[in-house]
Amino acid sequence: MIKTGKSIGFICTLIFAIVFTGNSPAQDISVSASLSESNIFTGESVRLDVTISGQGLNSIDRPQIPAVEGLRWLSGSTNQSTNYSYINGRPSVAYTYGYSFIAQNPGEYTFPSLSIDINGVQYTTKPLSFKVLDPSTIDEGNANRSPDIYVRLEPSTTEPVVGEQVIASIVLYFKNEVEVSSYQPSPGWKAEGFWKEDLENRQQARTTSTLIGGVRYQRAILLQTAIFPTKSGELTLSSFEVVVQVRNRNRRRDIFSFGLGQERKELQTLPVSLDVSPLPETDAVYSGAVGKFQISRSINLEKAFVGESIEITTDIIGQGNIPLIVKPEYEFPESLELYDPQESSSITRNNQQIGGSKSFTDIIIARNEGEYIIPEQQFAYYDPDRRRYSIVTLPALTFEAERDPRLVNTESNEYRFDVQPITGLANWEPAQSDPLLRKGWIWMLLVLPVFSLGIAFVVKTYNDRMDNDSAFARAQKAKDNAFEELAYAVQTSEIKNGYHFIEKSLFQFVSDKLDLPKAGLSTDKITQVIEIKTDKDTAKELKRILDKCETISYAPNTSQETLQSDIEKARELIKKIGRLL
Amino acid sequence: MRILSLIVLSLFSSINVSARQNAQLMFDQANTLLEENNFMGALESYRNIEKIGEISGPLYLNMGITSIEIDSLGLAKFYFLKARNFSATKSTADEAIEYVSSQFSRQSAMLPKLPWDRAVNNLKVGIGASGIFILGFIMISISVIVIIFNWFKPIPIPKKPTIITTAALLSVLTVVLAFYVDYVDQRYKDGVIIVKEIPVTTQPADNADLVSIAYEGYSITVDTFTSENADGWYYIRLGNGQFGWIKISGSKIL
Repeated sequence: MIKTGKSIGFICTLIFAIVFTGNSPAQDISVSASLSESNIFTGESVRLDVTISGQGLNSIDRPQIPAVEGLRWLSGSTNQSTNYSYINGRPSVAYTYGYSFIAQNPGEYTFPSLSIDINGVQYTTKPLSFKVLDPSTIDEGNANRSPDIYVRLEPSTTEPVVGEQVIASIVLYFKNEVEVSSYQPSPGWKAEGFWKEDLENRQQARTTSTLIGGVRYQRAILLQTAIFPTKSGELTLSSFEVVVQVRNRNRRRDIFSFGLGQERKELQTLPVSLDVSPLPETDAVYSGAVGKFQISRSINLEKAFVGESIEITTDIIGQGNIPLIVKPEYEFPESLELYDPQESSSITRNNQQIGGSKSFTDIIIARNEGEYIIPEQQFAYYDPDRRRYSIVTLPALTFEAERDPRLVNTESNEYRFDVQPITGLANWEPAQSDPLLRKGWIWMLLVLPVFSLGIAFVVKTYNDRMDNDSAFARAQKAKDNAFEELAYAVQTSEIKNGYHFIEKSLFQFVSDKLDLPKAGLSTDKITQVIEIKTDKDTAKELKRILDKCETISYAPNTSQETLQSDIEKARELIKKIGRLL
Repeated sequence: MRILSLIVLSLFSSINVSARQNAQLMFDQANTLLEENNFMGALESYRNIEKIGEISGPLYLNMGITSIEIDSLGLAKFYFLKARNFSATKSTADEAIEYVSSQFSRQSAMLPKLPWDRAVNNLKVGIGASGIFILGFIMISISVIVIIFNWFKPIPIPKKPTIITTAALLSVLTVVLAFYVDYVDQRYKDGVIIVKEIPVTTQPADNADLVSIAYEGYSITVDTFTSENADGWYYIRLGNGQFGWIKISGSKIL
């Protein structure tokens, strides 16, 4: 049942407001009006909400609805709600009056401003524009093809600059006949190329109505994230997944389904590309700040001792990419020692805007007495609204260093490092250091004495045997002696003498080689021994030559050439026997 | 054959000369970076010279000075110790080591070395394994010559066999000593801790029992042979005589 008169609650609220607010100033009161739809089809209902809020609402006249062209007021559908809250420790109340209308004729209209008397003062709302559309213009085929529910990733801008905040909204669209009972965003969404900071999202998404392609959808922002591009170029935001529980109001319920027609849907956004522009060049100190900031620089000591640490603090406060701001580099006098800087920051997430403060502290130490000036510095941050850099001038900082009298006596005991680098020519040498065992020359030197000793030992043994073993010495010299006799044979002019020397050389060789007594040897005996020691052919050849030597006196036709031939045969025979024995 | 030998010899010489010229050029460039206070760039350039296999005293001295500039005192000590091995930079390196050692927050107790270890170390640093070997070779060669000479023409000296045997034995012992010194040199390397602190453990594992903590600048002895049993770990002896394992990244071997 819809209440049309002043309820008991309303009266109590008024008493509550009067008691607690007293005489609050009129400027605390605000009045606004809004239409639930701005594009309405003929025959569709639309709702007007008039909201009156403030801390000193003593008397309010209900808003009077005038005749509105294009709409017909359903006078029986008016309702009212009240909301209490504390603002700055003081109670505040908001009254909302709801009025329902039916759209009439197609066309563009304006809802006139409403005049309301509050505490005896007239307040007016702003006029509201709206359109009434003809339903016959809807493409039924298109409407039927459009999905019942889908989710989109909607960045606040698709052409940011590096470091600019972009709000990425995950927006759910669903038709009126679809009822969404719950949704669950999938964790782990990554925005590669962006710094990501979560914003404060509503516990329960608020829906608004919108027309897409002539089809009415409910639009709900499920969550919002602030992202900051960290590089220029085309960057792509990957798909975002949401799981929703839905129920189609028009679908006939399955009598066997105890889930009351609920259905689980896994929705996914399409990837979205952003064209990120690089930041322009600047001559000022720039440390990556994009947004709106207040920047200041201070020094903690204006007088310090030599060796005492001094802190130069740079504070950056404002809205923008606070997490991405790096320490500004200043030009410090060379005689100052710089130590590792310190950094601290805090981040706020109010009103869909990342902000906060960041503080950088440079720690410096003066090593000598005197006045030190850290020069004035131009500090730039990029303002995306103005599309240019804002320059902040950080004033010069001055401090004076003096020697601490207590440290005078201790300095003389300090070590000083006076070693200077050598910058001229250097003597270079190979770096490798192989073990001895891997060096070839080591092995060569090791083998050399052993080898020498071995050769000397062999020579010594041979000499000793030649001196002490007559048989060995005869055998070793046999060949030389035999060839000596053959040399006489070659030199002689008489054939008989020649064959005599051949015979003598053969007898001497065999007897020396086999250590036989020279006396009493005969051709047959020598031949037998050689046959035993070597082979038949050698013995036969020996016997042939020796026989010829003995019978040469009976061979008148023997020539000098025949002798030379036999000398050569005897020489070959001696070599052969020498090898075989 | 002679021409071929000459070609090979001249080629080898030209390669050596070229390497030294490159090293000097790179050294000059690194020095320029050092003068421009580009310490990291200078250290990188000095290391590149080491990589091409050329070293010198000034190189290591400048690397030590650069390491001080980048506030890495352990590394500075390491390079100064290397510079001390060169006669040209020994005294300067000693001075630098004295300064660096005074800057470490913790000093390591050092046990004196045993006489035998000290003698071997002196031989290693002084004449070196190669020098001892050459000495041994000369002694062996003289012994062999005397033996051979005596074989062919006996030398009229008293107690000849005793003298020759003793000389030969001493020669062989000298060569064996050369190999021992080389073995010790290859197995036990001096090193320096270059990180602020590093745990020394009983086993080459992160969760092993702790023996001690080694701090930046501590001198250590690394047993490279035992260290081969565990990848990424060194088996070390601390200055106070304790043994244990440390991660390779925490130290540098001289």
